[in-house]
Amino acid sequence: MSDEKKSCCSNETGEPTATRSAAPMWIVVVTLALLFTGGLFLDSHGGWFDKNVYAPYQSSAQLEAFQPKSGAAAAMARGKSVYEGVCGICHNSDGTGKPGQAPALAGSEWVTAKGINRLAHIPLAGVTGAIQVGGKDWNLNMAAMGAALSDEDMAAVLTYIRTSWGNKAEAVNADDVKKVRTEIGKSPQPYSSTQLKAMPE
Amino acid sequence: MKTGFCVFLAAFVALGASWFGFVYGPLKQLGVATETKVLQSDDKWPVQRTGDATLGLQVYRANGCAACHTEQIRQTGAANELSLMNLGVHQATDLKDFIASLLGTVPELMNFSNAVAGNLAGWKGELPKLIYSGADDTVVLLLGDKLKAVGVKTEARVVATGADIARMGWGVRQSVAVDYLYDSPVQLGNLRAGPDLANIGVRSPDLNWQLQHLYAPKSITPNSTMPAFRYLFTVKKIGAIPSPDALKLPLTQQPNEFTPPPGYEIVPTAEAKQLAAYLVSLKNNAPLYEAPFTPITAAK
Repeated sequence: MSDEKKSCCSNETGEPTATRSAAPMWIVVVTLALLFTGGLFLDSHGGWFDKNVYAPYQSSAQLEAFQPKSGAAAAMARGKSVYEGVCGICHNSDGTGKPGQAPALAGSEWVTAKGINRLAHIPLAGVTGAIQVGGKDWNLNMAAMGAALSDEDMAAVLTYIRTSWGNKAEAVNADDVKKVRTEIGKSPQPYSSTQLKAMPE
Repeated sequence: MKTGFCVFLAAFVALGASWFGFVYGPLKQLGVATETKVLQSDDKWPVQRTGDATLGLQVYRANGCAACHTEQIRQTGAANELSLMNLGVHQATDLKDFIASLLGTVPELMNFSNAVAGNLAGWKGELPKLIYSGADDTVVLLLGDKLKAVGVKTEARVVATGADIARMGWGVRQSVAVDYLYDSPVQLGNLRAGPDLANIGVRSPDLNWQLQHLYAPKSITPNSTMPAFRYLFTVKKIGAIPSPDALKLPLTQQPNEFTPPPGYEIVPTAEAKQLAAYLVSLKNNAPLYEAPFTPITAAK
């Protein structure tokens, strides 16, 4: 202070000039902290600027959970919940698979095949041995994860994987699942890739 | 000013960013809004007003109705609800055990066992019985399916919640931008000296009621603070043929302060009829994607 005063008074006749000086560090820190908190707030309350998302909804995903469901939408929601409870643990919740655990379902030719005969055999009876999925070689065993699911749940989850993550195949109905289940019989044995390929799609 | 250009640039960026955020962005998003679809139906929303009702908006505006009335329903939350509607062949106690075993064994339901068990505590079998109310839709769909499989009828509903919605008749969901598509200018209002009118067309759909209420609010609500809009009506001598538009006041049977003198009738002006038409056109009863709920009529 005293230095400033001295310099000001000794130079009384000259024009005041603006000079450069470094901004104090606390301003930088406070600004960054404010930006960060603002970012967090926007993230949780901004609804990602979606024109359909109004408070109290905070994202389109949350809004989706409150859509009254019937018909196809209900089957998809049910398929999603079954998938996340049973299949997603290994195949990943976004269908991308996990290295060393399970191949990707997104873009898999087994999933998006025209018919569901081969596809339905996999969760109902299991797979064993070498299999090629989406151009990648796998050699793992999959248990009959779907054997305990009802035909309706099975159809819903197959519909879900056939129409999610960019997959665009036809929906599955419970009767088709039932047909495959009776074909497999009461004591399912895991199929190999060659056995599956020998079946009609 | 050595830093003049920097100051200009900073001000320009700050104002420009606000303009983009507050003017340009919303205009691009909502300024191009068109009619939207009513959920689970082929109907469009909002419904274009009749000519009378469109003119009525200007009467509403001219009379300053928006000074005391709002047209916006607020919402503070939403819930997925599952209710038992019919137990089929089951007894309440057996069903309670069955639901408890489902909640304990189905992995997707385990997280909700406390919530459902809390709702079922002390339940003696009275119906309908709400067994889940919360944000999750999985539990509603899955539990509903499992109960359906054993012959129990359930009903899944989506409800909006909030103080405005709790007031019967005020509306069943919050107001959203598309509701105001045909309002020019939008009459949002910011003071609730009177009730909200966003849903008045559902609450009081009778034109005659609206006209009588405009002519003499106290004849319907004795403690109403609403001014009487008498100048929207003419009191005139009944001619050879009584006017078909004359107010059919139910209170004429027992003459009181609102009754016209004998031999006179109260005839609404064109403006009063337009305003009433506008009021009955105000509805907040369509489920939309951005404001979902399960309409009562759709429940089976």
